[in-house]
Amino acid sequence: MSEVTTQQRTPAVSAGREKRPSSTSEAAELLRATQGSVLLRGGATKLDWAGRVDEPDLLIDTSDLAGVLTHNPADMTASVGGGTRLTELQRHLKGDGQWLALDPPTAETGATVAGLLAAGDSGPSRLRYGGIRDLVIGVTLILADGTVARAGGHVIKNVAGYDLAKLVHGSLGSLAMIAEVVVRLHPRPSGALTITGTADADQATAAAVAIAAGPFEPSAVEWISQSGSGTLLVKTEGAAGYLDSSRSQLTSMLDGLGVTTRQLSDEDAETSWQEHAAAVRGEEQETVVRICTLPTRLGGLTSDALDIAAAADVEARLISSVSLGMHTVRIRGGDAQGHATAFTELRERALAQGASVLLRSRSFEVDELVDALGPPPSTVELLKRIKTQFDPAGRFAPQRFHPWY
Amino acid sequence: MSAQLVDVDHQAGVVTDELAEELRRRLTPDRIITDETRLRTFECDAITGYRVVPALVAFPETTEEVAAVVGVCAREHIPYVARGAGTGLSGGALPVAEGIVISLARMRKVLPPDVDNQRMTVEPGVTNADISKAVAAHDLYFAPDPSSQIVCTIGGNIAENSGGAHCLKYGFTTNHVYAMTLVLPDASVVTVGGDGIEQCGPDLRGAVIGSEGTLAIATSITVRLLRKPEDVQTMVADFPSAAQAGEAVSGIIAAGIVPAAVEMLDELAIEACEAAVHAGYSLDTAAALVVEIDGPAAQCEEDFDRVQEICQEAGSTHVRVAADAGERMLIWKGRKAAFAAMGRISPDYFVQDGVIPRTKLGEVLARMEEMASEAGLRVANVFHAGDGNLHPLVLYNAATEGESERGEELSTAIAELCVEMGGSITGEHGVGTDKACSMPKMFSEDDLEVMKRLRAAFDPTGISNPGKIFPTPRLCGEKPGPYREHPLEASGQIERM
Repeated sequence: MSEVTTQQRTPAVSAGREKRPSSTSEAAELLRATQGSVLLRGGATKLDWAGRVDEPDLLIDTSDLAGVLTHNPADMTASVGGGTRLTELQRHLKGDGQWLALDPPTAETGATVAGLLAAGDSGPSRLRYGGIRDLVIGVTLILADGTVARAGGHVIKNVAGYDLAKLVHGSLGSLAMIAEVVVRLHPRPSGALTITGTADADQATAAAVAIAAGPFEPSAVEWISQSGSGTLLVKTEGAAGYLDSSRSQLTSMLDGLGVTTRQLSDEDAETSWQEHAAAVRGEEQETVVRICTLPTRLGGLTSDALDIAAAADVEARLISSVSLGMHTVRIRGGDAQGHATAFTELRERALAQGASVLLRSRSFEVDELVDALGPPPSTVELLKRIKTQFDPAGRFAPQRFHPWY
Repeated sequence: MSAQLVDVDHQAGVVTDELAEELRRRLTPDRIITDETRLRTFECDAITGYRVVPALVAFPETTEEVAAVVGVCAREHIPYVARGAGTGLSGGALPVAEGIVISLARMRKVLPPDVDNQRMTVEPGVTNADISKAVAAHDLYFAPDPSSQIVCTIGGNIAENSGGAHCLKYGFTTNHVYAMTLVLPDASVVTVGGDGIEQCGPDLRGAVIGSEGTLAIATSITVRLLRKPEDVQTMVADFPSAAQAGEAVSGIIAAGIVPAAVEMLDELAIEACEAAVHAGYSLDTAAALVVEIDGPAAQCEEDFDRVQEICQEAGSTHVRVAADAGERMLIWKGRKAAFAAMGRISPDYFVQDGVIPRTKLGEVLARMEEMASEAGLRVANVFHAGDGNLHPLVLYNAATEGESERGEELSTAIAELCVEMGGSITGEHGVGTDKACSMPKMFSEDDLEVMKRLRAAFDPTGISNPGKIFPTPRLCGEKPGPYREHPLEASGQIERM
């Protein structure tokens, strides 16, 4: 059993085609001086999300566009080179009792700030702090023709000009290179409480609804499916007095839903959250799909996923941010055809119910058997025009959103 | 293939009688206005210094009708401006001469809320406050709370990415919208966002929110609703100087507390507010901080005690804690009345909306005081101190020769000082017409050119709210600088207060 490796995700690139610029201007010059397709690589933790990009003419590694450029503790803002690993930024901020309030599962495997923004990746605590789209306050982009453009700024409140950080959020390197990112920081919570219990999908949904209706500021309500049932993980953060009152209230509330809980020690909680992150990342040879729905659809989605998987002779495992309606579905076991069938049917079912679906990792064999993107959204013509405006020669990540744009 | 940028000075079509007739048939006759007197009602938004009378105002009631009006505009190349309640403070809804105003005022449907999933779908003409009112029975509310919330509409909030006093903790409109139906400038109808909070591909919902009506018209909006906090605590702390009040704000933030709101009022602002609403602010203090903490009761109590200590350590001379919801409402009534209350102490005023890094507060206040005394004018300060969003009110008397010019110069200089300090020309009012000429102070030509590429993708012919956000030679003249007569003023098409 091993996690998906960087090797598996990075396409082969001939020697000399891989460049590692060390400044925004050097990266811009590199793009100006070259032609042909470009793949941007940060921590290489999500290079296969959406359509897989073939061997590019140029691979730009952002490792040297790294480092904390500014950190103003009293203003609670920081700017970083796009290639800065999230873990490195968090280490830098820790001394001042601050953090970028993001806990994406890919942090531990080397995710960079620009990569997280480009992928729109976030973790369980999006529930309390919002996702990276809500925490980025400024960006410096480099277009395929080498044009360098800033949007936003260094202050947390700012409505001057278009919010280009949102435009590149989720663009997976297909519109522009993210050279620098300015973020809003949060104080590190003084304490945290993690409670766990055994719950099935319906109990997990009821728990999420009850927690939302209660006097809490939850930081995470997660559920991991297991055969026939699942594990609920609830986290809240704050001062000792608040955690004390939350402990008893949460326990009795969950008890009322038939969920027997136990509180995890800080150490056990950390282990549990690390295991949770690894579960979301998935393992080699799995097909990992992200599905976002209305939070209360968890039960329906779970039974759909399990039924479809069983019919295709594969297994499905869900890891859900219940209150957010974000689900990672891991399809495993069986053969590539089984994965492809299960993925395609699950996507069809989910889309029909108003969900959004993104294919994350999968094997090359599965790639041959599926349409990675699926039916185009209503905005497809607009997306094509945006691509033409930002990258008229179609250089960045050419197959990423093919055939949409 | 090269990118085509928007030509905002294109040759526009004309609203002929035939065209008005076509729109009357497509909507209903009573929902098309062409009569001069009634058109005048739409000549400006809350920045009444800019006035342009449009050629026609349409009142669509459905997405299809909005698309029909936009379709006619696209076909005939007629510029249009979408309009909510017209409470904007940047001339963002200023009509275009010979253009069409698309009023969303009649699109006011509210669908039943989805309480468990904490969301609700509404039409753009619904007011900000009515969203919260509609779900109050479920203990839910819509977090963005601009001062104009009783009147302003969610459609306008989307155009401006509205914030409000509580956005320090809760964020802006962009953080509270799940999905929108949009009518694009080619009259096509698309959906951005959806049931899921992540979508596959670029975040177009985020790109459209705050684009000031230049990219699309939202005709249906699914908003995120928050649970009302268990507890809310509000206090007013008086300080002998604004600098000390600023220190208290820094102390609160450094203590790891994220208040729901931190507002500062200086002596002049307090005087005006008290004269207007008698909210009980002390009249003999140089500055007052309004601090609100909300959340779970136990957390709230601990944070609130700490905030009071910090204020005392920073030299606060008096702290008044709101004993109940009534007292809290009165404190906020005083704060939110600030702009309107200026009439009590000055016949005229300009309001600015610059943002500075919070730590530059003392320095900026001192510079503003110097600049004001050089200009021989008074500046009252009311601002969102937690996020550095200043609202300096430059007081002047238009009847006094030269004062309005000096006032406008000072006002622009203050906005540009904010940029020099590493901030922004606008925190929540938007760029609109009013601050378009200051954009080059904040952004390079390349920055603006790339933003225009986004504009061109949505609106290749530049018919959707042209003349806003981006500086144009026509609006700003050849060289940057303070007030000059607007060419539209010279031609008599617009006039200043």
